[in-house]
Amino acid sequence: MKQRIGSIVLAIIFLICSIGLVLAESKGNARKGKYLFRKHCRACHSEGAAGDRVGKPLSPLTKTQADWKKVFDGYKDLECKDAWEKLSEKDLLDIFTYLHDHAYDSPSPAKCS
Amino acid sequence: MSTKTRGAITRRSFLKLSGTATAAAVLGGPGPVLHALVPAEDISKQGKAQKLFSACDMCFNKCGLIARVEDGVVKKLDPNPKFLKSRGMLCARGNAGVKQLYDPDRLKYPLLRKGARGEGKWQRLTWDEALDHAAEQLQKIGDKYTRCGVLFMAGSDLQSKFVHRFAEVFGSYNVISHESNCLLSRNRAFLDTFGEVPLPDVLNCKYVIMAGANRFEALVTPDSMDMMTAMKNGAKLVVLDPRFTKTAALAYEWHPIKPGTDMAFFLAVAHVLVSEKLYDEKFVQEKTFGIEQLSQHVKQYSPEWAEKECEIPAKDIRRIARELAAAAPAAMIYPGRRTSDYENSTQIRRSFAIVNALLGNWDRPGGLITASKVGLRKPSYDPPFYEENPFERIDTGRSLMMFEEEGSFKHARDAVIEGKPYPVKGCFTYKINPMQTGANRQKTIEMIHKLDFMLTVDIAMSDTAWMADLVLPAPSYLERLDPIAGLQGASAGTCLVTRDPVVPALFESKPVFWIVTELAKRLELGEYFNFTMEEYRKEQLKDLPDAMDVLKKDGVLNRPGKLYGVYEGKAFKTLSKKIELYNKRYPALGIDPMPVYSPPAKVPRGRFRIVVGRNAYITQGSSTNNALLHELVPENTLWVHPKPAGKLGIGHNDMVKVKSSVGAEKLKARLTKEIREDTVYMDTGFGVLSKGLSNVHGMGACIAAILEDHNDEISGNMAMHETMVTVQKV
Repeated sequence: MKQRIGSIVLAIIFLICSIGLVLAESKGNARKGKYLFRKHCRACHSEGAAGDRVGKPLSPLTKTQADWKKVFDGYKDLECKDAWEKLSEKDLLDIFTYLHDHAYDSPSPAKCS
Repeated sequence: MSTKTRGAITRRSFLKLSGTATAAAVLGGPGPVLHALVPAEDISKQGKAQKLFSACDMCFNKCGLIARVEDGVVKKLDPNPKFLKSRGMLCARGNAGVKQLYDPDRLKYPLLRKGARGEGKWQRLTWDEALDHAAEQLQKIGDKYTRCGVLFMAGSDLQSKFVHRFAEVFGSYNVISHESNCLLSRNRAFLDTFGEVPLPDVLNCKYVIMAGANRFEALVTPDSMDMMTAMKNGAKLVVLDPRFTKTAALAYEWHPIKPGTDMAFFLAVAHVLVSEKLYDEKFVQEKTFGIEQLSQHVKQYSPEWAEKECEIPAKDIRRIARELAAAAPAAMIYPGRRTSDYENSTQIRRSFAIVNALLGNWDRPGGLITASKVGLRKPSYDPPFYEENPFERIDTGRSLMMFEEEGSFKHARDAVIEGKPYPVKGCFTYKINPMQTGANRQKTIEMIHKLDFMLTVDIAMSDTAWMADLVLPAPSYLERLDPIAGLQGASAGTCLVTRDPVVPALFESKPVFWIVTELAKRLELGEYFNFTMEEYRKEQLKDLPDAMDVLKKDGVLNRPGKLYGVYEGKAFKTLSKKIELYNKRYPALGIDPMPVYSPPAKVPRGRFRIVVGRNAYITQGSSTNNALLHELVPENTLWVHPKPAGKLGIGHNDMVKVKSSVGAEKLKARLTKEIREDTVYMDTGFGVLSKGLSNVHGMGACIAAILEDHNDEISGNMAMHETMVTVQKV
């Protein structure tokens, strides 16, 4: 029973997030997204990151706009999906907007060092 | 400043002396003055000549130099022979850097405006008073108008990144660089064609067309020296310019092109390359997108058609196109630097980029090559987020494709004046001088009058500082400890450069890094500036453990790396993943996917089109007051062709009034056949309002006072060659 409730909760979370990612086609707040990306993602996805979970360093420039969309569409396949699921729909949209709008093939790529 | 100065000079008497020193230096006796300004600890090195590395800051190139320091005084600046990017060169401006350091006109201590803006009445403050006041004003504006109510502008300087960091943690994303008065439209065009902004491998090129670029005067390292070397090795340089510049004088061919018609010329070159199948077919098929559309598009643009527009004979256009093709891929249309000229300047540069693509010069010797990573880390930080802030920058949406991190000075200024989409009431500027470089100076003044508070940090009392409420003195580059910088040097590869003080900071000057650190503390943002410059550098070099040793030994760390074939097997950073002759993103934004020619506005009868530029002694508004450079170029003049001048009764050296729809200035006429009859020309950097620039005040005329503020409709770059003027003898 517990397992079933768990599955239902997970499915609801997925559904909410999926709706969010459909909305990702619309405009989130890229500035808020930059703040949220730094707060929630960069600890693991940065050069010199340490800890149990260390991912590849990421910035908007890591991927194309299309690739960022793919990542957000298929985030449930990622190892860190549990971290994603803690974020609200709006937060995910904001992070997506930041990464997508400054991707390396975007009209305004993020500046690198 | 240490109280331990030469002899018995105290801090108070030192400062008093520096005032006397100013007067003495003006009267022509710099020797004793320099010694008087040198603290005792440096005099203790008397007799010991030191040679210390630094990097020039007389323009943006940052060429390596070695300062000769004797008795604690910088005697001369020499080039650093190991500095590959500058090919071991230091130009006239670089040599004149000593006079920036020992300039009696330097700002000496914090100044608070006491009279009306621009009146020149100031009260001296202590640093504590100045910083407390600045922090209070910034806080007040932030509380009342949101943090985005403060506009930040920082010039091309190694410490500007700390102004950006301060802006971010303070909470404003209204940050403007100098670029929107300079090269944004070039960047836009090449980014939208190749997916990145390339570097020209001038050194190995066999055929170069420079359209508007004046590389033998407006120096860019290594391009300027490399062009000369390439020519010695047999390369051909063709210059298109309405003015007979020094570059034109040394070129193989000069064509006095009708201003604003460069696109016609290059579309006709594309027409010849396509119609005669002279382009690199294999390269174009494999690596470009849209050759079919381009072939159709350029059919209408024959050399015979172009001749009527640009006034360059069709036979020459055809010949040049064929010569380019014969030299390809070691042939290029030089991308240029300042492209703030026309309302369609992005599309003009797209036509440059497209011809380069047809020549197949990408990623090949003598062509366009890519920037490399220099290996520096960018120390990270986590700024706060201010929920109450508006959603967008103040200048958002005023042009079609602006760069988020550059902004547009022209649009931001309009937005501040209009108070839309929200009020901006504060301004922080660092080593940027829009009063001199931003077209339509009256509007800049109008913008400043809309502000509650304006803070300027600079070395001297620029026109922008002259209009500020609080002016803080910064040291020159020879007195500063700066972060490590990575530079791109085209075929010279990348390099790392460091800048340590060669002498201690004079007067009460403080670097902007220190200023924003102190402001941050006062605004409860100290946690974002809780590091020293040495710690910052250490973090930057974390992946390059041996770099500092090399920098100390050589003054530079050259990192040649792989220059060519970098893109083999890689996708381009564009929507089509290829070089976009046809831009896939543009149609959805209402932009022509390929450049469509429209003729420039006709010059009305009795008027001239005014174009602006600089010579080798001028870095916009920041160098004309330099004592050595001022001797070479004391004032600017208006270049006018003798034929129209004769009709207007104007003789050589006559004082003339140049008038546009936004302003009028007076300066001397220089009658010369080195300019087209329908065009007049002026150097930048003169006609200053600031009485704090004693050499140049009252000399010549200011371009910003005359130029109308048009903009490139795509990038938001200023368009400075769209103004028509009348010229009258005074």
